[in-house]
Amino acid sequence: MSKELLKIENLKTYFDTWAGVVKAVDGISLEVEEGETLGLVGESGSGKTVTALSVLRIVPRPGKIVDGRILYRGENLLEKKENEMQKIRGKEIAYIFQDPATSLNPVFSIASQLIEVIRRHQNVGKQEAIEKAIELLRLVEIPDPKIRIRDYPHQLSGGMKQRMAVARALSCQPSLLLADEPTTNLDVTIQAQILGLMKNLKKKLGMSMVLITHDMGIVADMADRITVLYAGRVCESASTITIFYSPMHPYTEALLTAVPHLAIKREKLAVIPGTIPNLIEPPSGCRFHPRCKYARATCSEIVPPLEEIEPEHYVACLRAKEIAIRSPLES
Amino acid sequence: MIKYIIRRLLYLIPLFFGILILVFAASRMAGDPVQLMTGLNPHITAEAKQQLREYYGLDKPLYYQFLVYVWKLFNVDLGNAYAIRGGLPVTTLIGQYIWETFKLQLAGLFLSLTISIPIGIISAKKQYSKLDVSVTTTSLLGTCIPVFYMGIIAIIVFSYYLGWLPPFGAHSLFPERYPFGNYMLDELWHMALPTAVLTFALLAPVVLLVRSSMLEVLRQDYILAARASGLSERTVIYKHALRNALIPVVTYIGLYFGGVLAGAPITETVFNWPGVGRLFVEATRRLDFPVIMGITVMITMMTLFANLITDLTYAYIDPRIRLE
Repeated sequence: MSKELLKIENLKTYFDTWAGVVKAVDGISLEVEEGETLGLVGESGSGKTVTALSVLRIVPRPGKIVDGRILYRGENLLEKKENEMQKIRGKEIAYIFQDPATSLNPVFSIASQLIEVIRRHQNVGKQEAIEKAIELLRLVEIPDPKIRIRDYPHQLSGGMKQRMAVARALSCQPSLLLADEPTTNLDVTIQAQILGLMKNLKKKLGMSMVLITHDMGIVADMADRITVLYAGRVCESASTITIFYSPMHPYTEALLTAVPHLAIKREKLAVIPGTIPNLIEPPSGCRFHPRCKYARATCSEIVPPLEEIEPEHYVACLRAKEIAIRSPLES
Repeated sequence: MIKYIIRRLLYLIPLFFGILILVFAASRMAGDPVQLMTGLNPHITAEAKQQLREYYGLDKPLYYQFLVYVWKLFNVDLGNAYAIRGGLPVTTLIGQYIWETFKLQLAGLFLSLTISIPIGIISAKKQYSKLDVSVTTTSLLGTCIPVFYMGIIAIIVFSYYLGWLPPFGAHSLFPERYPFGNYMLDELWHMALPTAVLTFALLAPVVLLVRSSMLEVLRQDYILAARASGLSERTVIYKHALRNALIPVVTYIGLYFGGVLAGAPITETVFNWPGVGRLFVEATRRLDFPVIMGITVMITMMTLFANLITDLTYAYIDPRIRLE
């Protein structure tokens, strides 16, 4: 396998609120290799976004990274000074937000928002920056880039806005792209276009990508490897094929069962019973045990460690070996 | 853009006349002007009253009187005061007071904005910190204390007990009293207390407004996105956030600006400041309707004008507002 680009070790990001400490990310470890796409999968509230924001150290208040290491090219980002981080954000590691309607500043033109980032990280003059910006718009396949660049965000459609956001993220050719549900707020057809575009650009620029989503269909198409999160912890981590065809964690199984299939007969949509737990006082032991159909008494007592059960297949479940899950996709 | 301005100006005309009619009607509903003028004179005869009525054109039909008022208005003539300063023309009267008002208001507005905007921003940036809590508490207190109370306390403390600043007026009566014999210094010396009170009164609401508006903006995704692009904290706050946060502040200042030349009636009265605001209070007390109307017309024009400027500023700050 190729070289590690990003390695997160035992990351803990907590939010100190009036109601108590919300342990949004509670000991997550994962890694991204050069050139690979990692799918970060889980329900809403499982800690996907907070993990990604932690990498850039821009977790909004009252969120705080309390423990762990985030190694980027071997250097711990948590030990860097704020001005050193500013040089990494947008240049080395870029971020694409979920909702393009809110991630572009409404009062500045596309040109000024692109030029600002380009000039922040590259030593170029204004004219050169404008040319680079137009080139970027061409790269993300926006028609008439010389005209559209003068537009303000409200003048663009949702898909166009997300293309602009992609352009901004790619403006300095980052090595790692954190894409936080980049297509959730878009129409299905536009979704496919944006995902196709991202796939192409990733190959063209040779970047790595962390794709955050709750859509199993998208990760199946895009990701090389998948890490499944539940309630701020990693459940399972393996290659995409392994996750889909031989999952070992009950939560992964439940996620796969919940994927709606195109079928002639009308079936009831499968759901995972219960809701994601309260992260102020999470369930003891394995956090999934209250919703798990395989749970035994020990599951509420012992925190399952993330173990390499097969080569390159990490699972955090006490009963992973005994229960012998069959992939829902095979039935 | 120019088309928009012209259209807005045209739209102001009916509005202006509507307000004029209301003000004129209100002044006549208050009673017979001649009765108001002569009410305190027990020796006035019926003939003298009739003469006055003819002199002021009050014997003509009401609509005719209104048209005359409007016609005079276009010739910058607001009529004569009934009694104030021996019945001087209202325009002369306003002209004598307006500079003092303008001076005071501009100083107050300038000082309060330059202080309140940065304080509001810092307070929002450090929400719930000790600094933020003390800023919000002080501002709340500031908005709760009435201006006249604050003015009186200021006079008691700084004039009566400490004797540092003059308690009233805009100038010393005698040149010998000028500090270091300098007229300019004397003016500033007299301005200090009323300006401070006015500034503080204006300061508190703007601080709270900037703070809450800033907090709202800082929660937005585009701020996080700006941070994620590696922009410096300064650029994020003072460029990306501030531009968005200023929109409600512009509304507030725009509304306030409409009344700038009308003065701050309460502050000016407390400090016996020779400005339009005090003139307004005096005219109201003496039911001197030409003066009241004259000042109201001025406020109307200023407000309409300020609204137009506010709208144009909006369009400059926020491109989503299109002027078409």
